[in-house]
Amino acid sequence: MRQNSQRCAPLSAQRLELGYGTGRRQARRAVIENLDITLPAGQVTAIVGPNGCGKSTLLAGLARLHAPRKGAVHLDGQDIRRLPARELARRLALLPQDTKAPEGLTVAELIRFGRQPHQGFLRQWSEEDERVVKAALSAANLTDLADRTLDAMSGGQRQRAWIAMAIAQQTPLLLLDEPTSALDLGHQLEVFELIRNLATDGKTVVMVVHDLDSACRFADHLVAMQGGRIITAGRPSDVVSEDLVRTLYGIDCTLLSDPATGSPILTNMRRTRAAVKGDGAQGTSQRCQTGA
Amino acid sequence: MNASSLDSIPHRQGLGDTGSPAASGRHADAVRPPAGYWRLALPMAGKDGAILIDRRALVANLGLIVALLILGGLSLCLGSVTLAPLETTRALLGQGDAMNAFLVQELRLPRLAAGIATGAAFALSGCLMQTLARNRLATPGIIGIDNGATAFAVASVVGLGMSLAPPPLALAGAATATALTFGLAGGVGTRGYRFIVAGIGVGAVFGAVTQLMLARVDIDTANAAYPWTVGSLNARDPASLWALGAALVIGLAISRCIAQALNVLRFSDSVAAGLGIRVRHCRRGALMLSVGLTALAVAVAGPVGMVALIGPELARHVSSPRGVPLMGSALAGALVMVSADLAGRLMLAPLEIPVGIVTAVIGGPLLLWILLRPSRRIC
Repeated sequence: MRQNSQRCAPLSAQRLELGYGTGRRQARRAVIENLDITLPAGQVTAIVGPNGCGKSTLLAGLARLHAPRKGAVHLDGQDIRRLPARELARRLALLPQDTKAPEGLTVAELIRFGRQPHQGFLRQWSEEDERVVKAALSAANLTDLADRTLDAMSGGQRQRAWIAMAIAQQTPLLLLDEPTSALDLGHQLEVFELIRNLATDGKTVVMVVHDLDSACRFADHLVAMQGGRIITAGRPSDVVSEDLVRTLYGIDCTLLSDPATGSPILTNMRRTRAAVKGDGAQGTSQRCQTGA
Repeated sequence: MNASSLDSIPHRQGLGDTGSPAASGRHADAVRPPAGYWRLALPMAGKDGAILIDRRALVANLGLIVALLILGGLSLCLGSVTLAPLETTRALLGQGDAMNAFLVQELRLPRLAAGIATGAAFALSGCLMQTLARNRLATPGIIGIDNGATAFAVASVVGLGMSLAPPPLALAGAATATALTFGLAGGVGTRGYRFIVAGIGVGAVFGAVTQLMLARVDIDTANAAYPWTVGSLNARDPASLWALGAALVIGLAISRCIAQALNVLRFSDSVAAGLGIRVRHCRRGALMLSVGLTALAVAVAGPVGMVALIGPELARHVSSPRGVPLMGSALAGALVMVSADLAGRLMLAPLEIPVGIVTAVIGGPLLLWILLRPSRRIC
């Protein structure tokens, strides 16, 4: 099993239906319906799509924050609903969007929380814990800032600290929900480079990303979503086309190939006539008011 | 299972082994605890058996215990008849003057016990609920439990066709208010402000009912019901006190077990769930514990809801910022309650001011002072 978790697809979902709310209205609020997804092992997968398309909901469903209404999510062939919470947290780490930390918490203290699923009432701090926290600090290049409080750090450093917490969880799988939103270009790069390093180290990373250019550049596998469905998935250079951009965002553009990396770049962007008329990109803008 | 899942993680260059090979071969006793902690190795719990002791929290709790012992001793000595410490000790042991022994053993000691138990229960439940709601204002008193208990107890005193004694009815009132609050908010799993808003509404209704009952009875009956509206340690019921004591012991044990989960719950629910905390489970348990402790405490001392606010605040002030100060809150609450009761007995002696009024008069400004002073970080 140890080997399998590296080779075969560790995380997949079949006929997944996810939604918010309970009771009679639930049928109307299905955000994701009948979705199948397989995440390639040891690669960085980026989930892209317009606001409200169900990216974050899918990520939450994959991490069991939402119970599926139909279908199932499988981790190494096991239904994740059957896994105990701590066992799941030792195999899959999640970095949600709402990362608010208690006031005055330091970087090292935050990262120590990543050891939570490995600790117990009588096993609160082991040699392994100490070693892993130290390694996570250095992987995120935060060793010198270990005793800094989170409030006193830049956005990029803070986000790296949160990723370091997820690293300290020592999971083969890492799910990140918009790890670079609200960061400036330099800090975005800082975080994406860290994510690439993690994949080089053998982790499977899944991230929800807003910026298609960055997704193309830093992901090995791209999943494009719209209206709760997956439109296409594959290598960014294979699947990203001017048609896809139009379908997803209601944007006409010209695609170029990055001379340095070969990844697609969007240029000459303008909204399609339909989008300008105000019905949004294929009617998804309405959902973005309530979803996401 | 444990070891295999640890091993299954790839540790390649740059991630796993940044330390020298020698570092990973060290013995467990060389493990350095995180800053601010002592690590107490527990070899009987396996190779990695160890608990972390937060130094600051330990010192704070010890300090609170010492203060509680001193104040407890004082409250046994002082009163209408002032006894020297030596006399008090002898009276406690049943020696010396029979009158003094009666005074200390039958009057002051149960009152002290009631003060400690109710203060600890109020403050512990306050701390639990504040942590769950991630809001320092969310105390059980705010969500109508105190008012429900008061309404039922007052109904019993003013004799609305009920023969039951006030304490059990106070308990029933607290339970009713809780059931109403969570019923209206849509279940115990409800998060956020919904149950607080529902609770404020329920509390307002019960408060109005209490006022209505008091306005419609003669002055003597209203006077008899008065302690139940402000909270007092005068009219305690031994059976309720024993029930509270037992619940408190269980409650402290449970909160020790869920302390780490609550600590993680200070983050958002999704972060906590991602770290393997069973959020709903933990939330429900802590909420029930909080409500139960408050209900039992109200049945002993009436609504002294202020302690649920001051106790945890004081504890956070003296204790470590790295964790949720559950034990510290219980100790601080007991300290506040005992000192308020002592002050209430002594200030206008031989008149006695109910403890609920003292906590409000002294506690209000104290709370303001704690909240308004610039925060200072310990790290």
